[in-house]
Formats: sequence, C-alpha cells, structure tokens
Amino acid sequence: MNDARALNRRDHLVGAALSIGYLLLLLGTASDLAMSRDESFYVHAAKNAADWISQIFVDPSNALAQQSIDRAWRYNWEHPAWMKLSFAWSWLAQKHLGLFPNESLAFRFPGMLSGALLLWLIYAWGASVMRREGALFAALAFASMPRVFYHSHLACFDIPIAFFVTLTAYAYWRSLADRRWLPCLGLSFGLALATKHNSWILPGIFLIHFLWIRSGQVRSGRSERASIAWLPAMLILGPLVLIGTWPWLWHDTGRRLLAYASFHLRHVHYTYEFLGISYFEPPLPISVPVVMTLFTVSLTVLALCLVGLYTRRAELRIPWLTEPRASDGRRTEVLWVGCLLAPLLVIALPSSPIFGGTKHWITAYPFLALFAGVGLVALIERAEISSWLGRRWPTWAFAALCLLPGAVETAQSHPFGLSHYTPIAGGVPGAADLGMNRQFWGFTTGSLIDWIAAKLPDGGSVWTCDTTHGSWAMMQRDGLIPSNIRAEASMSAADLVLVHHEAHFVEVDYQAWVAFESAKPVYVLRYAGVPIISVYENPARAVP
Amino acid sequence: MARAARNPGLAAWVWVPIAALAVFELVAHSTIEAAIPSDASWEAAAAFVRARHRPADRIAGAPAWVDPIVRQRLGDLLSLRMAAPPDSAGIDRLWELSIRGARSRDEPPALEQEFDGVHVRMWTLLGDELVYDFAEEIAGAKVELVGADRSEVCPLMAARQMPGGLERGPMTPRERFVCDPRRPWLWVGATVLSDLDLEPRRCIWQHPAGRDPVRVTFTEVPLGDRLLVHGGIDYQIERRRNHGPVTLRVWINERIAAELLHEDGDGWASLEIDTSELLGQTATVRFETTADDPTARLFCWSASSVRNRGSSRGRDE
Repeated sequence: MNDARALNRRDHLVGAALSIGYLLLLLGTASDLAMSRDESFYVHAAKNAADWISQIFVDPSNALAQQSIDRAWRYNWEHPAWMKLSFAWSWLAQKHLGLFPNESLAFRFPGMLSGALLLWLIYAWGASVMRREGALFAALAFASMPRVFYHSHLACFDIPIAFFVTLTAYAYWRSLADRRWLPCLGLSFGLALATKHNSWILPGIFLIHFLWIRSGQVRSGRSERASIAWLPAMLILGPLVLIGTWPWLWHDTGRRLLAYASFHLRHVHYTYEFLGISYFEPPLPISVPVVMTLFTVSLTVLALCLVGLYTRRAELRIPWLTEPRASDGRRTEVLWVGCLLAPLLVIALPSSPIFGGTKHWITAYPFLALFAGVGLVALIERAEISSWLGRRWPTWAFAALCLLPGAVETAQSHPFGLSHYTPIAGGVPGAADLGMNRQFWGFTTGSLIDWIAAKLPDGGSVWTCDTTHGSWAMMQRDGLIPSNIRAEASMSAADLVLVHHEAHFVEVDYQAWVAFESAKPVYVLRYAGVPIISVYENPARAVP
Repeated sequence: MARAARNPGLAAWVWVPIAALAVFELVAHSTIEAAIPSDASWEAAAAFVRARHRPADRIAGAPAWVDPIVRQRLGDLLSLRMAAPPDSAGIDRLWELSIRGARSRDEPPALEQEFDGVHVRMWTLLGDELVYDFAEEIAGAKVELVGADRSEVCPLMAARQMPGGLERGPMTPRERFVCDPRRPWLWVGATVLSDLDLEPRRCIWQHPAGRDPVRVTFTEVPLGDRLLVHGGIDYQIERRRNHGPVTLRVWINERIAAELLHEDGDGWASLEIDTSELLGQTATVRFETTADDPTARLFCWSASSVRNRGSSRGRDE
C-alpha cells in the first residue's frame, strides 16, 4: 500500500459516479420498503425538529427558550440530533419545494445520501493507498452487501454513522501527515458524535494506532514524530459540534449528557434469535458478530478480506516485536484493522447490551471492504492476470466475478434485506433451519400492501403487529395503502391481523388463534420459501 | 521474456480458489433457490392430506418453521386443541408435511408420498382416547374466587378482549369468567399459552389471586383411567425465572387427588392422576390455583380425562 497517493480529478469523477449511481438505485427501490419501526420514531422526532426550525424563523427568542426546546426535543432525547435535523431539513424542503415524489423519500434522502457519499469515501481512501481497481472493488463490495443495501434506504442512523466514522478515520489519517486536516477531523468527529454513539470508540482506536506508529518511530530513531494534535482537535471540537447541533443539550447540559450516556450503557436488551436460541439478556455468544458477518456478507468478499489481511500481515506486527524500519509511515493497515475489529469486539463483549442486528457493527464493513480491495489487488498482482493476454479485461473480469455473488444476493434480498442470509448459511431456508433471526422492525409489511389493498377493496382495518402505526400512516401518505384501510389497535376488532415471524413473536401468533378461534392464516408472505408474515382474517368480518 | 523465467509460486494461483468460491456462491445460491417448493407442490400435498383427513388427525409441518404454510392450506381442519396440543391424547394419526429432509419422528410412517419437494408422511399413533377435554368444557364449569369468609362466583360473560401484542400474554377469549374487573388478569377461560419452549398449549387460564384459591369446578366429568394434567406460565414471564411458584390442586369428588407445584423454569409441567378405580363413572373435578405472591403468575393449565385404548379394549372383551 502507498502511504498516500494524491487523488486526481478522475478519482473524484469515479467517486461521484459511484455516489450518484447508488443514490439513484436507492431512490428507485425505496418504495418497496415499508418504514421500519425505528424510522417511524425518527420521523416523528424530525417533524418536531422541523416545527422548531420553522419557529426559529418566525419567533427566534421564543424558539430558543427552554420550554420550546424541550417541547421539540424531548421526544427521542436518547439519540443526538444531527440526522434528525437532516431529516427535518429534507422534509421542510419537501413541504416547500416538493422535491421528492413522496413524503417518506424526503425523510430517507439524507440517509441515502450518507450511503452514497460513503462509497465515494471508500473509493477515495482506497485509491489513496492502493491500485484503483482495488478501491473501486472495495466501494462496490460494500455497496453490494445485502444488509448495507437495506440500511442505506432508511431514515435511520446506521449508514450515516458508518459514513461519519469512516470520514473521521480518514480525516485522522490525513491529519497525521497534514495538520490542515485537524479542523476537518474535529468537525467530522463532532458530526459522528452527533449522529450515533458508535462514535465513542473512535478516540480509543486512534490512540492505539497513534501509540503504534509512535512506538515504531521511536524505535527507528526517526526525528520526525507524528503529532498528537489530532486528540485535542477531536476532544475539543467534537463535543462542541455535538452540543451545538443538539438543542436538547443547550439547557441542563451536564445532567442530560449523563442521561444520554447512561441510556446507552444500560440499554434495554432486544430479544434476538441466534442459532436456535432467543437471547433476551446478556451475554450474547461472542461469536454473534462474526457468525452474522459470515452469514450475511458474500463469502468471496470475506475471503478477499482475509487475503488482504494476510498480505499486509508484516505491517500489522506489533512494533516492539519487529525490526524498526525507516518507512513505517502511517500504518494505514493498523488503523483499518482497528476500525474493522473494534465494532465487532464491542458487541461481542459479554457485558454489552443485547443488540444482535448487523447494523450495530456496520461501521466495520467499509474497512472489511477496503481489505477485500487490498486482497483483490494482491491476487491480481501476484498472478499477473493482466499480463496473460496483454490486456486489462481479465483483471476486470476477475473483479466482476468476485463482486457478482454479493450483487446477486443483494438483488434477491430486496425488499427482505434483514431476512436475507447467504449460501454459507444455507440461504434463507438454511438460516431458518439454524434458528437465525428472521427479521425485525416490521418493515416487511411493505411487501404485503398490494395483497392487503386487494383483500380490502372497500376499506377496513389491520392489526399491524411490529409495524408501528406511524409506519402505516407513512405508507398511507405515500399512497401505498388506501386511506380507508386503517391501523387497528385491537387484534379482535381488526379485519386482518398480521404476525411478523420471529421466534419470540409466536405468542402473537397464538393470540390471533384465540382472537379468531382459528389457527388458519388466510395468507402467508414468504421469502425464499420461508414464512415472513402470516395474515389472519377476522371470521366475523370475512371479506370474500 | 523475463516473465517466462520467473517462478511465481503458489501465491500466483490463489485467485483460482477465490474465483472458485465466487462460482460456488453463485451455484449454491441458484441451487438453494431451485430447491424451494412451489405453491403447486404445497397445494398438491395439502390436497392429498385433505382427502384422507379424519377428525382425530393432527397435521404439522417439518421443520417447524413451515407450520404457517401448512396451516394456511389445512388450518381449517385443525381445532385449537390439535393446533396447540396440551398432551397427546385424542390424536389418532399424525400427518406431516415436510421439506428439506426434516421429519419429526424416526419410525417408518404408515403412508408416505412425495410432491415435488414436499414430503407427506402419516403415522398412526393410537395413543390415549380422549374422554373429556376440560378446556373445551370450560363454559359449563363453575368459577369462584374463594375468600376467608365466603366465596364469590365469577360470572361467565362476553368481555372486551385484550388488544394483543408482544409481551401481552395469552389472548383473552371473547367469553370468559371475570372474577374482578379491577384486576383484569383475574379471569378464567380457554386460551393458548406460549410455553417456556415457545410451544402452543391449549389451556385454561387461571391466574392465582394469592393464598386464597381461584377455584374451577366441573361436574359430571366422565372419567377414564387417568387424568393428564399440565401447567405452565407464559414464556415472557417464566423465562425470567424471578417469581414464586404456583400451586395447582386437583380435587376429585371432594378428595384431593394431586398437586402440581409449578416453579419458573419447569416449563410445561405435567402430572398424571390414576382414576382407574372410577373408570366409566362421572365425578366432580375441581382445580384450585394459589400462590404466595400472585404477581405476574400468568398460569395456564390443561387436563384431559383419558382412557388407554389397550385397557379399554381389554375391558370391552
């Protein structure tokens, strides 16, 4: 790997093309996905924020009073404001300019943009240190991870935090050689803090990396030493950006910051099925992030990542166990390994709250993809694939072949991204055999809307199970569900009852049996042959 | 030129297994997709079972996750007892619609047929004959909240059902005995419990009220040679294993016949009461639940009066 190659205009054109292409793909496929459970909460919070922003323009002194701020920001106080502000601005743009074809897209656009920009960033960082084929491969390998593709659609924080974590790591890496990057580092870390708490681990990763390179520099006797100026830049600018973008913290700052930290350190446990066991309290098996990555990311990409790690193993040796060298540089590999492993380790810790979903360590995947790019380049170079025929197409053909499984899996996974498992798990049916989590968040209702609309042509009511009423209302505002089909709070009063299949949701299945005195669903939505949603019909209101 | 003389070594060929891995993934993906049974296969298998189904037949899917697909096609043939069996009584035959080589029993089936990926098997079980299912007869029972001085009868009424949802416990049936409207959990009726193994159990909800019993009395109960009694607590509560035990006492003709002490972690616990001395007679059977601390004791029990087919045949002869 190079220490840092300057990027040229063509590089940025490639990055921009990747971004725009991905953004268009996300925009074109978003309507297949019902708003997920968490999105509906963030939409509610964003609307509060939008009202508050509007109030600032009309009545700024009142808007900045604690009462107004608390009213606007109390809801969903447990998450910082940056993305909610982004959703709010996007929605305001929609309200006033009608930029998007529907309301949900307005809320989702900032998240999609983060995903698109992340591809550019992966490419740019990759192209700075390796052959451009590897950088392009890394960006596309990341884009074509089924769960990344799913999460990239959402008005959530997971892809945005993956973007800001990668951006912060990139800015840190740049700042080691060029102090002009320090403000950018502080700002990007601040935005990462203001997006999600995954960012808390970044200073620790960077500190280990910094000590690593400093140790190498000391041992090699180099007079030029890396500066630790990055740390104050992060620790001063970061919190300022966090607090500055989060009005909730403008009053009673210390207590609210503590409450925020405490909320996530003592987070409620989500019940999560893994290898046939529903875990509802810690510890989750430490293998969860590794096995879930193995089961949801293309095996070829994972293998290339391992090849990449193997080929760079010399750079990963602990400094005090290796001979000092003059060209130790910034130890990019060490930084990438830290950013790759730390999110997985945090989730694997026995004391960590139960999360389970890959989204909780998705910040690792840009670095997994980058190492896959390194692996690809290593194979191409060692095999001299391009030299065989004197042409470059064999290289591209090999890269395309390696991307194809992920791309095919992703295409098939949509719109069931969270239910998808790769062939190493036996695919979706194999994962069901193994007892893996089938879904969460109730987003799969989006795949039922045509059936429901056809079943209730004159309107009716639906008990929506894990799909929130906010998500349902959004589908109605988007024109996906007729307005005369309402979400019903009581199962026995509903015309149709949905049951999202997750192991611990079977009690809801049994409730429907008793409510309608029948165990016969009128319809079962399947993905790859595996039940995703059962629909029960109220016999008292049976629709022919 | 120079390249011809170079020996790239094994490393030069690592791309081959990587390329093979990509091809493997693509082929495996297609193979998995191709192996998924079609709707037509499920329909054909269901039609085959439907044509041969008898009232005492149970129908299930294997692996268990295909059960919703099976119930979609054949669920109308299943009573709630058959869909959520509290015990094996009254099940003459088991039909299994299976895919992916799954099967729930090892012994050879009495009948077997393949429908392009959906395997139908039928086993003859001929277990205990079900003489009386208490859950199905709950509407005829008398329910009382027993106090120190007097007992209050809990009326059977059509009452509003609970809304449903995760961690809400078993669904309240439309008709149930309501003991205390101020304590909405203090009702008695037939429902389906999600037991500690997440299995469905048709049972009678009888949340204890405390040390004073909640009493359910059935009269004119035809007895077989045994009474199979089971009890369990809702999964979402029992899994936490942090509450006290529940006692279920069974009385037959005013004599205590057995006691089931259910502690968290016991799951779908069982006891068997020998009623062979009363075989063929009717009796008054009473079930009482108590708990020192009734907090979150979402207790549900089932009882089946059964007769062993072998012993009954012997007596007939």
